[in-house]
Amino acid sequence: MFEQLFDAALLESVVRAMVPILLAALGGMICERAGVFQIAMEGMMLAGAFAAVAGSYLAVYSGLGVLFGVAAGVLVSLMLAFGTVSRRGDPIVLGIALNLMALGLTGFLLPQIFGVRGTFRHERIDGLDRLPIPGLSDIPWIGPVLFDQTILGYLAFLLVPGIWLILFRTPVGLRLRGVGERPLAAESLGVSPIAYKYGAVIASGVLSGLAGAQLALGNLVLFTEGMSSGRGWVAVVAVMLGRAHPFAVFGASLLFAFAEGLGFRLQGNGLPVQITDALPFLVTLIALIAARKRFARLLDLTTGA
Amino acid sequence: MAEQVTVHRPTLASKVGAALSHPVVFSLVFAFALGWLIVYLTGRDPGFAYSEMLNGAVTGSGLRNTLGRAVPIIGMALAVSVAFRSGVINLGGEGQMVVGGLAGALVAIYTPGPGELVIPLAMVAGGVAGAAWAMLPAFGQTRLRLPILITSLLLNYVARAITGYLVRFHFLDDSVTLTSTRQVPEIARMPRMPIFGGVSLSLALVIVLVAVAWVVYGRTVSGYETQMAGLNGRFARYGGIQVERQTVGVMVVAGTIGGIIGTHMIIGDAYRFIDGELVVSGLAWTGLLVALLAANHPVMILVAGLLFSGLQIGGLAMQRNADVSWRLSQVLQALVIVAVASRLTFGWFKRRRTGPSEGELEPAAVGEV
Repeated sequence: MFEQLFDAALLESVVRAMVPILLAALGGMICERAGVFQIAMEGMMLAGAFAAVAGSYLAVYSGLGVLFGVAAGVLVSLMLAFGTVSRRGDPIVLGIALNLMALGLTGFLLPQIFGVRGTFRHERIDGLDRLPIPGLSDIPWIGPVLFDQTILGYLAFLLVPGIWLILFRTPVGLRLRGVGERPLAAESLGVSPIAYKYGAVIASGVLSGLAGAQLALGNLVLFTEGMSSGRGWVAVVAVMLGRAHPFAVFGASLLFAFAEGLGFRLQGNGLPVQITDALPFLVTLIALIAARKRFARLLDLTTGA
Repeated sequence: MAEQVTVHRPTLASKVGAALSHPVVFSLVFAFALGWLIVYLTGRDPGFAYSEMLNGAVTGSGLRNTLGRAVPIIGMALAVSVAFRSGVINLGGEGQMVVGGLAGALVAIYTPGPGELVIPLAMVAGGVAGAAWAMLPAFGQTRLRLPILITSLLLNYVARAITGYLVRFHFLDDSVTLTSTRQVPEIARMPRMPIFGGVSLSLALVIVLVAVAWVVYGRTVSGYETQMAGLNGRFARYGGIQVERQTVGVMVVAGTIGGIIGTHMIIGDAYRFIDGELVVSGLAWTGLLVALLAANHPVMILVAGLLFSGLQIGGLAMQRNADVSWRLSQVLQALVIVAVASRLTFGWFKRRRTGPSEGELEPAAVGEV
């Protein structure tokens, strides 16, 4: 039984499922560190996925797709930054509204631009190639799992230690955390909270846009309405569970991706799709219960308790 | 935001200026202007699209359909407002509606007896199921300190999966290609009122709910206490209000309304429970936007609900006649809330032009917008 379930192919699909969640979660983590409550990753990811497909279709080149995806993520993030940072609007309301805006806008543009409803696939859409690293990718088990990724997959892995270095070992990271934890103290030292918060939100726009591009050009080569299907929310939980620490956020993303990958596998073994679809969310809920002491801040934010 | 109405005799320009200085009016204008641009950029005629939208919402069968669609939108908005105004961020309206909808549908399909009995029974079943589903995140917050914001949202996906599973494997109608239950028998369907060419009786129910909410919110102790908890949880606790108990209470009320609306969507609208249809319709989320636009005020919810319903029904006509997808309506609705939440006003643009800085903004509380 276990030999049927756990093999290299399962791990491959786990890693594939993890990349978009991890990219989005890393962005949400940067925002959390800067003291911006960020729940718009779902919408930014969806906008990124649509724009990536549109760009790739336009140029028959996945590079332009990725660029478009990033631009779309940044566009939504600018609206969020303006509303929450400049106008001190409610981050929860803005996050929800922007998620719905992205859902509506991509659903609107799909028939308007491409003349199809539901799903858009086309031979002009150039998917992201997998780039096996010579030598390393031949290692049994680990090779195909880790060293046969798209460029965005490698980027996601490198960003985990990379962002850790920036956050905890550079002046920029120190100031960013200072802005999040003690905005007044940071300001009195000449650090502009507004600039750092904008930077953090835009960074999460870039990362969520990349997450969307990976989803629509890497994991699949198509766009489906609402294709982010809750991954942005799972990323929100990954940030909470990982307490906005890069390696812990990585671990949380891996856990959820494992549930998704396992779901795919069980589906192949005959379990109904309705059950396997719910699996990542059930695992997320169970992980929340297991780590429940960690959410005091969000609870304070939403109940004023 | 201070109103900058001139003290002199009001001219037309000053009246327009005064209207625009109201944040909601300005946000609506802003959203429609942006929508105009979006339609223009995708190569269609925005003027024609908007006029078809307006026509479709109020002429012909449009008015009847607008009133019909307003039922779930206003209902879900009320459900959201019950929770939001007391600071409970219930994003699980969709799940509560879906679970309640299936429970109500099954009762309506499989209970024999006259409509006078079956219809209320289905409503009760839907309400109970919705309330039970809403209690999961409620107790999650009060007992386990898990934020309702997250758990209620995640449970939407679980609700979709469970109901989909039940329909597919236990209550499937083999005679159609859809993943759907059997049809609700004619006798168990919600009757229509003989106005505007037949509007579901549920509209009357929703109007009664609005009136009840208006009385409870504004005229009763529990209405006051729940609002206090939303404005300042710490203060409410200090004043002796049992916030935890209240959290469970408002979630139960919100879930009950959600479940009843879900039931209405089956026995008063679609007449069968189709897997995923209540999710794809996005009605729970439209209701949430309506509650935000109306700042949880029941009468304003009625007005905003009719407006957003008209947008959607008009949007369908626009799609038929002007080749502009009805999803534009969803974009407009979300943009209005983005603008309101960003506190965009005419005054802000003017001040930006002229320079001097405005006073420090206080962070907005959830639900106040």
